[in-house]
Parts: sequence; structure tokens; C-alpha cells
Amino acid sequence: MAASALTWAGLASIGRACGHIRSRLLGSSSTLSQVSCLHTSPELNSKHWERRNLIVYPPQQKDEPRRPAEIHHCRRQIKYSKDKMWYLAKLIRGMTIDQALTQLEFNDKKGAKIVKEVLLEAQDMAVKNHNVEYKSNLYIAESFSGKGKYLKRIRYHGRGMFGIMDKVHCHYFVKLVEGVPPKVEQKTGFDQAKEYVEQLRNRTIIHSL
Amino acid sequence: MATSICRTLKYFQPITCQNIKYVASLLDVRLPQPVFVPIRSKKRYFIPPAVNVKTQPEQEAKARAAGVVVRQQYIERPINISCTAGIFDPYVPPEGDARLSTLSKEGLKQRTEQLRQSAASQLSIRKIKDHDPDFSTKAFPELAQQIFIDAHAALTQFNKEKLHSLVTERCYPEMVRGNRYKTLRWRFIESLEPPRVVHARCPDMISKGNLYGQVTLRMHSRQTLAIYDRFGRLMLGDEDEPRDVLEYLVMERHLVNPYGRWRLHGKIVPAWAPPKDPIIKTVMIPGPKLKPEDEFENLNYQIPKPKAVQWYK
Repeated sequence: MAASALTWAGLASIGRACGHIRSRLLGSSSTLSQVSCLHTSPELNSKHWERRNLIVYPPQQKDEPRRPAEIHHCRRQIKYSKDKMWYLAKLIRGMTIDQALTQLEFNDKKGAKIVKEVLLEAQDMAVKNHNVEYKSNLYIAESFSGKGKYLKRIRYHGRGMFGIMDKVHCHYFVKLVEGVPPKVEQKTGFDQAKEYVEQLRNRTIIHSL
Repeated sequence: MATSICRTLKYFQPITCQNIKYVASLLDVRLPQPVFVPIRSKKRYFIPPAVNVKTQPEQEAKARAAGVVVRQQYIERPINISCTAGIFDPYVPPEGDARLSTLSKEGLKQRTEQLRQSAASQLSIRKIKDHDPDFSTKAFPELAQQIFIDAHAALTQFNKEKLHSLVTERCYPEMVRGNRYKTLRWRFIESLEPPRVVHARCPDMISKGNLYGQVTLRMHSRQTLAIYDRFGRLMLGDEDEPRDVLEYLVMERHLVNPYGRWRLHGKIVPAWAPPKDPIIKTVMIPGPKLKPEDEFENLNYQIPKPKAVQWYK
């Protein structure tokens, strides 16, 4: 019976703990997020966000272009709504870190202060632990919010009716990358209209002469 | 029927797991491994409170009334100390060591300076030889150099178990700190001078007879080191550029322990050692806090330089 004392749950938790303690996962060639073999949607990423700071890439040759440093940081169970946090996350997507910090400092929302703290922590971590040379040379590559664990309470209505009130919490994830932010091409209305007309012209009509 | 089963069980008892495994290895037979079957149980979300449960003092009183005597439990945890906390009575390397050429008179004097100068070292070596008859001042440096090379090779591969066996517990965090997510490339090219023992001490820790032996070695060698950070970018050093390195290694062994081994305990960095190469990136050193009307250039701020003292790695 001693053999059966180890349940599968226990084994799984031990396996996870081992993974956390000794995770020197070698980063493969998929350094860019566009590689299709990795799931990159936010729902599947958020569980292992902290683990992404632990991958070690093999040393680069002298002729290879310098790999930009990537720093993943998150804060869990923030007492704020994930939908309201989304607006702040969308605001700073693609900005340089200095610009993002300035914008958040003068934003009136409650989440702005929290996001600013997270960004400053991430910047500090980058300089101290991840060998980033200039602390202003970072930009925000990914920034999104996710749903945390909700607490449930009772909201009393009239006539003995009640509703279940959710005390909402959210997580906030940010990925800082070293370097200059990539330029996003601004599409004018005229370009979009031109594309639309091109699409219409490229249609093939089947079963025609 | 029952007695015969007991007899047969008694016959089979000597054939324990180890014997079976031994026999199996002799005969090259594949035995089935023990299968662990997990128990499935349902998780209870509501566990009802226990009824008629006695509190701790009530239970103790009842036990005392019944005459059950519980021996006093000492909450102790034995700790094994297998290395000292530092370098006792450290060796002070003479100024200008390895700077003079061997051909000059001064160089020859330095080269032929024997261990016989220091009486305390001689005494310590004699004490070490009492506990460890295989120790000899002639053969030990080669062994020690091999341990040094193996330890650094294990550090490059980050082989924790091997590193713990080659390096003491005091030296291990100093070697490993900060290197977990970095790639180290280290190569020992050659030894320029044969390593030799320069210093020995036998301190004892806590109780009188608990002897540890610390032997200092002088090693002049050529090595290559390159440190890459988490992303594979070069942080320090060059893989193709060998450097001449003069090191004073301290090896330690717990003499009283029959299973003790000579392990690397630390390094002595002399006060006159040349400064290390700077790292490739620029680092910001925090300066004085400025008031809005001040200018940094007008302050005449002197950047503090560290004092040149001997320290231990």
C-alpha cells in the first residue's frame, strides 16, 4: 500500500515543481512569435508567463545579428476589471518605455498607477538581471490583460431576491524588448479604398465564358 | 496448511529484493519492475466538523492519568559541517610575484623560495600527513590542478552533483551565483609553471579535535573564458584569446572525516593584482542627488575608487 501513496496528482505537482526549479529550456530557432508551431494566443500564454524569463539561448556566433533581449513580467490578481485594464494595455502597445511611463503617469484611471509600477519593475529587472544596456532602449512588444480569480459575494435585491456579485480581479502581462519599436505603417483611407477596389477586381467569376 | 506456508515464507525471506536483483544481473534476466497503482479517491468539498474531539491539554491530562509517559521530544536538526567558513590565516602573496623574469637574480630567489621558510606551514603539513598518509607536497599540486580543471568544467556544464563533490560548500555559491541563466565557456589551455604548495594551515572548528586542512597553491596558467548572457550575447571575455593567469587556490579537506576529500575552497586575490577587464556593456553608477539649480560639472564630484586590499573569492 505504500506504493499507492503517490497519487497522480502528487506526481504531477512534483513534476511541475521540478520543471520550475530546473528549467533551462534551450530556446530553439523560434525566437519570433510568428512561428506557427507555438501557440501564441493570450489565453494559452498567460499561465507560463514567468517561465518565459527562464529560457536560455545558445551563444551567438560573431557574424549573427545581435538578438534583442526580451523581458516578460506580469502582476497577478490586481483588484481591477480586465475590460477596464484592456484600455490601458492597448494604449501602451508599441510605445517606447519612456513614452508609456509618461502617458500612464498623467492618466486618471486606477489601473494606470498599477501598470506604471509593473513597467518600472520590469525595467529594473531588465537592467539588473537580463543584461540590458540602456534602460530607455526598451519598447513594449506585448501588453494585455487577463481574467483573474473572482470572489463571489451576494448582492441583496428587493423582495428577497439576490444576485451573485463578482469581485473582479485581473492579471496584467507585459513583454519588453530591447531596441527601437518597429514602425507601424499608417494606412490612409485612400489606400484602404484602393485595396478594396483591387480585391473586387481580382474576383474570378466561375462558370462564365 | 498454515504452518507449511509459514515454513515456505521463511525459506524465501533471505531472497530479498537485493538478492533477486543480484541474481538477475548475473543471469542477465529482465525482472518486472514493481508497479505503483494509484488509489482513486473522491475529493470531499465539505468535511463535517469532528465531534467529541478533545483539545491538546485535555488529551495530555488523560494520557497522564492513564499512566502513559511520553519522552521529551527534542526538536533538533543535526547539521553536518564539512567545510570551514573562510580562509584562516591567509597567505599573503609577495608583491611582484611572477613579474620578474626567472633569469635575474631576484627571480631566482623567488623561484627557489621553499616552503621551509614558514614553520607554521611545516607543522600543518605534518599534521595533515598524520591524518592522511597519502599527502605529499610533491604530488599534491598535480592532483589539485586536476580538481581545479574538473570543477570549472563541471561549472561550464552546470553539473551540480559533480561540482559539490569537487568544491566546498563555501566556494559553491561564489562560483555559481548569477551564472544560472548564463552560458560559460572556459578552457584550460596549458600550465605555464608547475603548480606548487606555498602555504598550509590546520584550523579546527568549534571543538578542539575537529581538524580541517587548508593548503594554498600557486598556479600560473593560460586560460580562456567567455561568458554569454541569457540571449547568447557576449558579456565578458573572448573565446579565442588566451590569458595568462596567476592564481592562489585554497584547497580544503576535513581531515578527521575518513571520507573527506580535497576540494577547492577559495581563491586569494592579492592586493597588487591588475584590475579586471570591464564588461562589454555600459553601466550607470548612481551619482550624487542634484538640486534643481545645481550642475553636475560644477560639483567636482570625485568618483570613489575602491581600496587595493587582498580579498578572497
